[in-house]
Amino acid sequence: MAAADKIRDGEILLEMKDVHMLFGKVIALAGVNLEIRKGEIHSVIGPNGAGKTVMMNIINGLYRPQQGEIFYKEKKINFLKPYERSKLGLARTFQKVEVFGGMTVLDNIRLGRHIHYKSGIFSGSWYFGKTAREENKHRAFIEEEIIDLLEIEQIRNKPVGMLPYGLQKRVELGRALALEPELLILDEPLAGLNLEEVEDMARFILDINEEKRWQVTCLLVEHDMGVVMDLSHRVFVLNFGNMIIDGTPKEVQNNPEVIKAYLGEDDLYSTRK
Amino acid sequence: MTTTFLPCGVYHENYIQDHAWWQTKFIKGKMLLLFFLLFILIPLLADTYILSICNQIGYTILGAIGVQLLIGYCGQLTLGHAAFVAVGAYTSTLLILEFPWPAILLNLGLAYPISIFIAGLMAGLWSVLFGLPSARVKGFYLILTSMAAQFIIVDFIITQYVSQIGGRGQAFSLPPGTIKLGPWLIDSDLKVYYLMILLCIICIVGVANIMRSRVGRAWVAIRDNDISAEVMGINVIKYKLLAFFYAGFIGGIAGSFWISNLAAISPEHFPWSWSLWLVGVILIGGVGSIHGTIFGALFMVLVMESLQLMVLPLADIYPKLLMDFLFIKEAAFGLAICMFLIFEPNGLAYRWWQTKNYFNLWPFSY
Repeated sequence: MAAADKIRDGEILLEMKDVHMLFGKVIALAGVNLEIRKGEIHSVIGPNGAGKTVMMNIINGLYRPQQGEIFYKEKKINFLKPYERSKLGLARTFQKVEVFGGMTVLDNIRLGRHIHYKSGIFSGSWYFGKTAREENKHRAFIEEEIIDLLEIEQIRNKPVGMLPYGLQKRVELGRALALEPELLILDEPLAGLNLEEVEDMARFILDINEEKRWQVTCLLVEHDMGVVMDLSHRVFVLNFGNMIIDGTPKEVQNNPEVIKAYLGEDDLYSTRK
Repeated sequence: MTTTFLPCGVYHENYIQDHAWWQTKFIKGKMLLLFFLLFILIPLLADTYILSICNQIGYTILGAIGVQLLIGYCGQLTLGHAAFVAVGAYTSTLLILEFPWPAILLNLGLAYPISIFIAGLMAGLWSVLFGLPSARVKGFYLILTSMAAQFIIVDFIITQYVSQIGGRGQAFSLPPGTIKLGPWLIDSDLKVYYLMILLCIICIVGVANIMRSRVGRAWVAIRDNDISAEVMGINVIKYKLLAFFYAGFIGGIAGSFWISNLAAISPEHFPWSWSLWLVGVILIGGVGSIHGTIFGALFMVLVMESLQLMVLPLADIYPKLLMDFLFIKEAAFGLAICMFLIFEPNGLAYRWWQTKNYFNLWPFSY
């Protein structure tokens, strides 16, 4: 576990300090502290309604916490809008796929690179010259780096709305990758996929985390314990707004409170291994 | 957004080819034929009546592109586009009639072209003003706020105040000789036709290009899913307002063009029903398609004209038909939209796409 130790001492990419989120009188998050270090896969697990997605929404700015602070690369990002945070290198995928159904796969991924394009309404209307060169440059990146990695060559010109669910998830991952993020939030990337697709997706997550080209830090929300325990460097367990433990997979598996709250009886969990 | 299949045996070797509008020699030839038809054949063969119909089609296209951009591409429902067309028409007219143009610009015939551009800007800015509620409201509620544009701009500001400028009362009349494009005086249907073709091509090319670049993609993303669009780095409000500006700009150009065809302009030329008509055009043509705008405009104008041609002989037998024609026209409009929504909700553009693919994939088209 030398590599994991190295990550453990690495610089902190994202930090949540004592974050409280309330919807009326419902306490979704009650003082959550989270540290994500560069290069790790940090998983967040917890029962349904624990506040995992709320946490993700707070990190990328869809919700504003009432109390607490969020730092990204030591910069406070509490008051940045989602589109401003994405410019810092924060990308995410959604639990229910939120692709642009009317656009082709290629256009979806191109849109993911929105912040890297430069053209405006005038140069876009004229198109020739600068905009055309820009489109070609990014097209090369998309084809060579993303479509090739995710193996979606044959569907690149299909409208995403017509694709099966598993491929939509893959396109969504591609769209998030096109942003060239430093921190990628994966909100249940494996939900609703069959075994083969789960294996593929887990492979992709490992690839983008470990390959020299990407080295993306991942924040993973997932219910599939087998995958979570295998992939993650650290696991954060949330139970109805409260943190139970933030530790290595081994520590989490042996923690009696986690077993009571989430993992359940041993035999139940082992069937998903 | 859907791509057409290439014929068997045709393939691309680089991204530029794949991103081009006209991807095969056959399509290039077809488009050349189309330009030949538009620029040479129609002006050569058509009489004044057909030219005036063509101009009407062009005006409908210019108006509907803006609506297509807002509804079809950006997902912002609008029912007030006629107001921005009116802003364009009135800005252009007022500039031509009241603005103290330097003699050199007048002699060069630049007054009207410049006024077209300024009319576009003015209409765009008004459109942005009435697009501001889109930051907060969506869908049906946005329809209501956009309808306010009609009542505030046309029924109130233009009718009550703008029409009084110069003490003319109701209508502005443009004396012959005021509308000049460079050395050409726009005084016949043929010249209006050429101006129309020119403006249509500029606007269509502009919209088509922007839809394959950064801004256009952001608009479609907002239409399909505004939350994930924002997460992917798009400033949703800014891009919505940009869409309103662009649509208003083209609406202003449409209005500014139309004054070359009208001897006098008055608020009645821009009724609220015209906005509805433009939405009907894109529904019939196909929402979210530039082809659709053109097909819809062709369909609407041609069907209405042929209806008129059918009614006229019948009026000899049943004279009341002539009086009722306006209502017949509107009923036909309603019926056409109903039929399209039920039998071809994707519009004429979808049929066109299917036909093209049928021939491209032949003999394996199924």
